[in-house]
Amino acid sequence: MIEVEHLSKSYGSTTAIEDVTFAVEPGEILGFLGPNGAGKTTTMRILTGYLPASAGTAKVAGFEVHENSMAVRQRIGYLPESPPLYPEMTIEGFLHFVARIKGVSAGDRAERVQIALERCGLSDRPKTMIRKLSKGYRQRVGIAQAIVHDPPVIVLDEPTVGLDPRQIIEVRNLIKNLAGDHTVILSTHILPEVSMTCSRVAIINKGKIVATNSPDALMTDLMGGDGYNIELEGDVTDLLPLLSKLPGVKSLEAATAAVPEGRSQWHVFTQPGVDIGRTLAATIVGAGVGLYEMRRVRASLEDVFLQLTTAESTEAESTDSVPLDAEPEASDAEPTAGET
Amino acid sequence: MRIIFSNILAIYRRELQGYFASPLAYTIAGVFWLLAGFFFINLLNAYNLGSLQADTTGNTTPLDVPYLFLQAFLGVLSSVALFLLPILSMGLYAEERKRGTLELLATSPVTNWAVALAKLLAVVTFFATMVLPLLVYEAIVFGATTPPMNWNVILLGHLGLLLLAAAVLSLGMFISSLTDSTILAAVFTFGLVLFLWIVELVGQRLGGPIGNALSHLSLLKHFNNLTQGIVDSSSLVLFASYIVLGLFLTAQSVDAFRFQRS
Repeated sequence: MIEVEHLSKSYGSTTAIEDVTFAVEPGEILGFLGPNGAGKTTTMRILTGYLPASAGTAKVAGFEVHENSMAVRQRIGYLPESPPLYPEMTIEGFLHFVARIKGVSAGDRAERVQIALERCGLSDRPKTMIRKLSKGYRQRVGIAQAIVHDPPVIVLDEPTVGLDPRQIIEVRNLIKNLAGDHTVILSTHILPEVSMTCSRVAIINKGKIVATNSPDALMTDLMGGDGYNIELEGDVTDLLPLLSKLPGVKSLEAATAAVPEGRSQWHVFTQPGVDIGRTLAATIVGAGVGLYEMRRVRASLEDVFLQLTTAESTEAESTDSVPLDAEPEASDAEPTAGET
Repeated sequence: MRIIFSNILAIYRRELQGYFASPLAYTIAGVFWLLAGFFFINLLNAYNLGSLQADTTGNTTPLDVPYLFLQAFLGVLSSVALFLLPILSMGLYAEERKRGTLELLATSPVTNWAVALAKLLAVVTFFATMVLPLLVYEAIVFGATTPPMNWNVILLGHLGLLLLAAAVLSLGMFISSLTDSTILAAVFTFGLVLFLWIVELVGQRLGGPIGNALSHLSLLKHFNNLTQGIVDSSSLVLFASYIVLGLFLTAQSVDAFRFQRS
């Protein structure tokens, strides 16, 4: 339904997105995940025909978004970051207007508006002025205007931003219900949202797609599952090299959590399929270091996300994560050479 | 083609609805009516007095008082409009940009031209409804003149006013599309219109072919032609050119805005 190939966009000398390639199958919900400024909105704007791409092609329902802009615009529903609303109109009047300019025929218009109102939970107040609506309701009207013309492709830019928890659940359910009949792309920087609503995730960072897969596969493939959090007391300078050389240990990192005086917390990341709990504990105890906490952690999408989007800085830190002559607190406080 | 027309109609209706729901629009109309009424009475008194004096002093040069009065009144209206029109046009695109609704219009199957044309038609319609009530009391006064006035001259004068307004609003719409600050749009439009108003004076000062060309661009000069009942095709062409120029530049600027925005 959506095919994006080698898409790039630069504003002057700054590159917003670079060589972005992905595809979305009909009926799928693709979550577009990335930190703020990663290029999510730019990609969506290109898809909707609002911005032209600098290079590459994007096709929606078989039409190239720039060459066949009008055909694409008819087949796409778009909710920008801030919902585009006319405050002096009523909800119903506004949806009628949008249905009209999106080319819904006069006979179907009333019905389509009614469906959109019902789907977005607005049917109890169709005559309310948009000016008087709360943020949550405005967001719903924004979604309603994106689906009012029953487009095959729906693009939602941060659809749950500014909503209260109950409304967030409602909106997520609404989006899930859209799948099947519609192909949905939604962007977010809220991680649980993706694992809850999306069938596939594309993680974008600094204008590049760094991973595309289902949320579950991303977690197992990229993080390899497990790791341990440990809290130690005493002099750990001799212990840490030992730990990082243990079979099955992938890396060792200082944790940023606050700990009592004289203690330090560490993340031990392990290879997939290896459980090192026993040897880890034995090594620590054998070195005469106090072990105050040892907790097994499973990778969350959050970890995947952080690992992928902060790849450069973690590489720089990992050389530092086994400090031989410094207290862990000190190494955290001082900027490392790699970062500057 | 039918779809384009339907789109234009949809946006036109939405825009008009926006004006009739906007306190600012009512304020502008109110101020316009107040000033127009005030000047109407004032001018009426002045011209009555003038004609009386002409009679008593035995001045034999025939004065066509009703036509002079019409011309003076339309002149005043155009000056008032000069101040008010930039306020009407300032929000046309600047508001849409500020509210993010331009993104909705730009991602809908509607061309920039259709949007600009619909907006211009709507704001000109609003101005026409502002002028309409004035025709009532003009009709009362001009209906009482002997010999009866030629209604074509009156209508032509008002058509001139509408054309003038459309030209100003079209250029104002373009300026509005350049910024998302309504105040800035109003100020720049006012400056531009003022320049086009007095460009005749500048042209006369300069002299030569460039001066001639400049003075031909003057809005006021061509508007005065029409209020005198002179249908000069060059005046009509000039107003039409300003209107089309405004539409063209607006459509282009909306496109350019999308190309370069960061």
